[in-house]
Amino acid sequence: MKKKILLATTGSPASFGAARVAFEMARRYDAELLLFHVAGVPKKGFSYQEVSDVRSQEAVSVDEDYMAWVEEELKTTYAKQLEDCNNFRILLATGLPHREILRVARGEDVDMIIMGAHSGDSSAVYSKGYPGSTLQRVAKAAKCPVMTVHRESASYMGGFSHIVFATDFSKQSESAFKYALSMAKEFDCEMTLFHALDITSKVLAQSDIEDKLISLRKRLRDVYGPKMGDFKNFEVDVWEGNPYVEIVKIARERMADLIVLAHNTRELDPEQASMGSTLEQVILRANCPVVSVNRPDKV
Amino acid sequence: MPEGTLCNRQPITTDEQLKLTLSDKGGRQYYAEMEQLEVDTDKLWTAIQNTMKSRLKTWLNVCAKCGLCADSCFLYECNGRDPRQVPSAKIHATLGEIVKRKGKVDNAFMRKCMDIAWSWCTCCNRCGQFCPHGIDMGVMFSYLRGLLFSQGFVPWELKIGSGMHRVYKAQMDVTTEDWVDTCEWMADENSEEWPGLEIPVDKEDADIMYTLNAREAKHYPEDIAEAAILFHVAGENWTVPSEGWEQTSLTLFAGDWEGCKQNVLHVYDAIERLRPKRVVGTECGHAHRATVIEGPYWAGREDGQPPRPFLHYVEWLAEMLRTGRIKIDPAKRIKELVTLQDSCNYVRNQGLKNITREIMSYLVEPGYFVEMAPNKEYNYCCGGGGGFNGIGKYRPQRNIALLKKRQQIMDTGAKLVVAPCHNCWDAIRDLEEEYPMGIRWSFLKPLVIKMMIVPDHLKPQDEEGEE
Ligand code: SF4
Ligand code: SF4
Ligand code: SF4
Repeated sequence: MKKKILLATTGSPASFGAARVAFEMARRYDAELLLFHVAGVPKKGFSYQEVSDVRSQEAVSVDEDYMAWVEEELKTTYAKQLEDCNNFRILLATGLPHREILRVARGEDVDMIIMGAHSGDSSAVYSKGYPGSTLQRVAKAAKCPVMTVHRESASYMGGFSHIVFATDFSKQSESAFKYALSMAKEFDCEMTLFHALDITSKVLAQSDIEDKLISLRKRLRDVYGPKMGDFKNFEVDVWEGNPYVEIVKIARERMADLIVLAHNTRELDPEQASMGSTLEQVILRANCPVVSVNRPDKV
Repeated sequence: MPEGTLCNRQPITTDEQLKLTLSDKGGRQYYAEMEQLEVDTDKLWTAIQNTMKSRLKTWLNVCAKCGLCADSCFLYECNGRDPRQVPSAKIHATLGEIVKRKGKVDNAFMRKCMDIAWSWCTCCNRCGQFCPHGIDMGVMFSYLRGLLFSQGFVPWELKIGSGMHRVYKAQMDVTTEDWVDTCEWMADENSEEWPGLEIPVDKEDADIMYTLNAREAKHYPEDIAEAAILFHVAGENWTVPSEGWEQTSLTLFAGDWEGCKQNVLHVYDAIERLRPKRVVGTECGHAHRATVIEGPYWAGREDGQPPRPFLHYVEWLAEMLRTGRIKIDPAKRIKELVTLQDSCNYVRNQGLKNITREIMSYLVEPGYFVEMAPNKEYNYCCGGGGGFNGIGKYRPQRNIALLKKRQQIMDTGAKLVVAPCHNCWDAIRDLEEEYPMGIRWSFLKPLVIKMMIVPDHLKPQDEEGEE
C-alpha cells in the first residue's frame, strides 16, 4: 500500500522530535513524506499580502521570495534527514495552522499526520478568538491518525516493542483500537489494553474501587477480547486514578514505545477544559510518541 | 508617465494583472507609480457633473462650518483634536476643493485626498447624527473615494481587493470549486459530532439562503460549519448558492462603484435563481451594508429592497432564540462582565441595536452585560472600519484610531467583547495586539453553539464513553 505521511512542522526545535519520527516512519513504511509548514497567519483583516510569521510573530509580506526563503530554511533544518529520504515534497501555506494542516491532509488524502505538541501557540493574539490549540483542533477533526511527539527523548528510536492502547469505551476508541491492533500485528509487538478508572471527581470506598476494577477488567476483555483474532500477545489492565496520569504511568512501567488513544472531548476552549484533554496531558507527559485516532477512515 | 503598469485608472479585471499587482512588495512600485500618475481633469469634472447629485451639492453648500460635528468624529478626538480632522474641514479640504476648482487639481493634491479619504475617515457615518443640517461626511467620503478610484488614486490593498471581486467574484481567490469543496469538507468534518449535518448547495425554494464572507471559506471555514450547525439545530430548510455566495464588498471600501454593482448582482442573481423565502447573511457588517442597505440602489432596484427579505445574522439568531428554536442552557449563560460592539454598518446604518441586545439577554446572566458608552447608534467605529484595517500604508493612523475603542472597552471593565461584525472582530484583535489589555473577543456563532441545549435526537448516538 502506498502511504503518505504528513509532517506538520514549525521548523523549530519543538518539532525536531516529531521530524525524527516522521522520517523514520517514512523510511520504514516506504511512504511519501510531505513536509508541511504554515508560514504565517494573515494579518490586516485577513488580507493575505501580510502575515505574522508563525515563529517570530513578526509581520512579513508574503511573496515568492519569502516563500522561497522559508523553503530553503526548512531544507537546511532537515538537511541531514533529507539526504536519506528520496520521496518527499515540501508544501507551504499561509493561514491558521490547524486549519491549513487539516486542509492539506484532506487534499492529499494522507494516512498519518505527525506533529509536535508545541503548546505555546494558543496564546498568540491572532488565535485568541479561536479556542483550542493547533494540536487539539487537528486531533479532533483529522480523519487519519495523528501522531504527536512532544520531546526529542520521546522520539522513536526504531521498532515498536510495546503498545499501550488506552480506552474510555467511547465510539472513537473503537477506531483507535483498530489502529493499535494493526500496528501491534504489523510490528509483532506486545500490547496492553488499558482503562483508567477516573476517581478524581468522586469519593469511592476502597472496596467499591476494587469491585469496579474487577468489573472493568472483565469489560475490557469482553469488549476487545473477541476482536483480537489470532493476536495473542496482549494483556488487559485497569488502574484507578487520574486518567492521564495512569496512562503515562502504565506506559512507563511497560516500557511502551507507543501510546494509542482517542481524542474524545468536544471541549476546545482551554479555559473550560482547564487541565486540557486527557490526550493533551498524555502527550505532554509521555516519553514516547502518542497517536490519537478518532475516525475509522484511515486505520 | 501618464499611467503606470500597476497604478492606473483601470480597475483590475484579469488574473494576470491581479497577480502582478499582488507581487509588488507592499505596493512599493504601485505607490511610486502613483506619484507620476496624471490626473485626467476633464474626466474628473465630467464625472462630478454626472454623478454628484443635488444632495451632496447642497451639503457642500449649506455646511455652515459651525464645527458642531467636530466632537462626533473619533478620529478628531484620537488625533489630539487636530482642527484639520473636523469632519467638515476634511471634506472641504478635499471634495470641496475639487468641486471648487472644477476638477483642475494635480497629482499631489489627489494623493493628499487619498490619504484623507482612507485614513482620516472610516465612513462610519457617526458625524451625520450631530450636524444640525444632517450632513453626513461618511456619505461624502464614500463619494470622494469613488472619484479617487476612478482616477487610480486608491490604496494598493483596495485596488487588489476590488480586483479580487472582479476576477474571482470574491474578496479572495476562492473559486466556485473551492467554495463548494469547502462546504463538503465542513459537512464531512462535523458529521460525526452532528449526525445528519448538511451544507446543501444550490437547493431551490429553500426557506433560507445563506451568504457569507469569502474570508470564512479561505481561512476560517469553521464559521461555515458553525452556521450549518445552528441552522441544523434550528431545523431550518436552508441552502448556500454555488455562485453568488460572497456577500462582502471591498469594492465598497475602494470606491469601485461599478464593482459594487457587480458584486451585489451576483448575490441577487443567486436569490432569483434559487428562490429562497428569505436570505440570511453572516455576521459581517459591511457585507450587510453592501447587499442590503446600499446594494438595492446600486442594482437599480426601485423598491430599495433586495429581491427577497434579507436578514442580518443577528436578526435570524434573535428570532431563533425568541421562538425557542434554539434554546440556551441557563447554566451556561455568561457570568462575567461582557460588552458588545455595535457595528456602524448594521446598527447605525440599519438600526439593529435592540435586536443584538435581545440576543445578549439570552446569552448573559442578568447583571453581567455592560454597555459601552456611548453605544447603539452613537457607538464609535471600531477604528478599523471602511477598509482601514487592511491598508498597510495607513497602519500607524489605524493604530491611533483604535485608541477610542480601547478606552471604551476599558471603561466597561469587561474582559470579553462580543463583536459580531468580522471587521470589528479584527480591529479588536489588533487592538489587543497593539495595546495589550487582557481581553478576549468572540463572534456570536461559537458562543451560541457552546451554550445551547442540543435536542437529544440531534446528538450523536453512542457518544458517551465510560460512565
Ligand atoms: S455640523 Fe454640519 S454644518 Fe456644522 S460644520 Fe459640521 S457638517 Fe458643517
Ligand atoms: S464618517 Fe466617521 S470617521 Fe468620517 S468624518 Fe464622520 S465621524 Fe469621522
Ligand atoms: S468595522 Fe465595525 S465598527 Fe468599524 S466601521 Fe465597520 S461596522 Fe463600524
